[in-house]
Amino acid sequence: MSTRPGEQGRRDEAGPVKTRLNALLVAGLVVLLAGLVAYRSGYFNQIAITTMIFVILAASLNLITGTAGLLSLGHGAFFGVGAYAAALLSTKLGWPFWLTLPAAGAIAALVGAVVAVPTMRLTSIYFAVATLGIGEMIYVTLLNWVGVTRGPMGIRSIPGMEIFGLQGMVFNMAVTATLMLVALWLVHRLTHSYYGNSLRALREDDACADAMGIDVGRLKLQSFGMACCLAGVAGGLFAHTTGYISPESFRFGESILILSMIVVGGLGSIYGSIIGAVLLSVLPELLRDLGSYRMIAVGVVLFLSILFLPRGLVGEVSAIDLIRRQVKRDPNARRSAW
Amino acid sequence: MDPTVLLQQVVNGLSIGLVYALMAIGFTLIFGVLNVVNFAHGEVYTVGAFIGLLAITALQPPLWMVLGMVLLGGGIAGYVLERLAFRPFRRFRDEASIKSKAMREATLLSSLAVSIIVREALELKFSGEMQTIAQTYLLQTPIQLGPITITDGNLIIFGLSVASLGALQFVLYRTRIGLAIRAVSNNVLGAQFVGIDTGRAITATFVVGSMLGAIAGIMVGLYQGAIFPQMGFEPGVKAFVAMVMGGLSSIPGAVVCALILGVSESVATQFFSDGWKAIVSYSFLLLTLWFFPSGIFGSKKEKM
Repeated sequence: MSTRPGEQGRRDEAGPVKTRLNALLVAGLVVLLAGLVAYRSGYFNQIAITTMIFVILAASLNLITGTAGLLSLGHGAFFGVGAYAAALLSTKLGWPFWLTLPAAGAIAALVGAVVAVPTMRLTSIYFAVATLGIGEMIYVTLLNWVGVTRGPMGIRSIPGMEIFGLQGMVFNMAVTATLMLVALWLVHRLTHSYYGNSLRALREDDACADAMGIDVGRLKLQSFGMACCLAGVAGGLFAHTTGYISPESFRFGESILILSMIVVGGLGSIYGSIIGAVLLSVLPELLRDLGSYRMIAVGVVLFLSILFLPRGLVGEVSAIDLIRRQVKRDPNARRSAW
Repeated sequence: MDPTVLLQQVVNGLSIGLVYALMAIGFTLIFGVLNVVNFAHGEVYTVGAFIGLLAITALQPPLWMVLGMVLLGGGIAGYVLERLAFRPFRRFRDEASIKSKAMREATLLSSLAVSIIVREALELKFSGEMQTIAQTYLLQTPIQLGPITITDGNLIIFGLSVASLGALQFVLYRTRIGLAIRAVSNNVLGAQFVGIDTGRAITATFVVGSMLGAIAGIMVGLYQGAIFPQMGFEPGVKAFVAMVMGGLSSIPGAVVCALILGVSESVATQFFSDGWKAIVSYSFLLLTLWFFPSGIFGSKKEKM
């Protein structure tokens, strides 16, 4: 074998059919967005951007909840940390957008890591409770630290995205779409690899994974930090595209909405989180005519999908399938994903 | 600081802590028998308050009758909740399926879905605003007690909570169904082997737990004069915190921790502004989880 293991792994993953399908999907996305731009409706464009932001959030939550099995009930709060970081850096310090966005990701990851260190040895329901508590603490802080966050009034007139004079709705969409694709690719690489398999081992039985020589604590910390970072970037995008944020957008309900997306779509599946995010952010808009029934519809969709589709719309690629596929494609591979 | 003010806050805190305790018992009972978290418990509290409100506006019955209706309604709510959100996901076939993560997570999310539906339906029917309650039913008549002032609401909450706790002890330790509930929470398979109808025991647990939650809802609604669709969220989370601090399946632990939470929140308003007081319970939660990962009163072996 002359190829280096890294390259070989990549070739194994992306079979020709899958690559073609993905290319088709990206092309479809571009056409759809171009169509929306041509249609010149601010309303539809805003929905498209919000949907793409939710795709990032769902994919990042899927990394920790779907793949690593850490049920997080506070993901919306890290989204909020990113949004507030971006908003404050650009309104108070005048940082340009290309600096605030990475900063938003970094700050959210940092906050995530700081709160995660002590909670890492907690498992299952205790971890869920801890993230719920942390999420609420962040919300209360955003709401009451009036001197910095302006409390319930929120932050107004956040400057839009701008690089080299490029700005406006089309540019917003392009940036959001690009970052969404990057985030999806990142999560895909993290989950469809040896790394992803060790995360799955963590989910199935972390004591057993520990005994097999997997560094459970480090792995949990890394995946949680990365998911928070992506949520922070999504928050930055949200702040810059809407121009106004307030604590109410980052409360428990938001975390639950993101969780519902990945449950409906399928825990552990990237296509699933895309479908779930699109479904649950577009559905309420489609049902706008029904007025206040739309949140009920979200609840009903969630309930029915748990009842009838326990694995979600798109099931997860299980570790054993992944190995089988690799062995089939390259029987002589010295390093399969064992 | 003025000691009478402190005493006043402690009294207020005790009555709110008792309400958290009633809620926490519902959580704890259900966690005990099924090992799952019931996220719709906060909505049971809201439903209790709204049943009371409807009874008051429609019939103007005496207070004890309102409470009776709330108890009945809460029991029915618990029964329906169990049928809808828990029974379809339960498969007690073997050891593995009882401890399965899948069941735990499915019911967690299904109860969440039910809670969203209930809350939104209430909001649709009654709008999100505070409801007007007939003045005569508000439990806000002040009573001077030495240097501190309490309201009749404090006394009624105190009395009713203690009575409910007593009734719970009676049900759990003096009746057949209570014996069944304790057996199921101890060991489901063992209970099945000795011929206990586990389905019935679990339903009974939901009914009892939801009755306590509903009664807590109407008492707080009348005491604070605020009944609205979102009211269940805060006490629900606080009760959840109390349950975790108490060690997930220990009822005395949950009650003690609920009282600690209530009093410390109430006293904290002396030091911080009102908005920050929620931080207190979450800090308690995190500190407990860091230093006592399985709760203050939890046994060591019950590690989830």
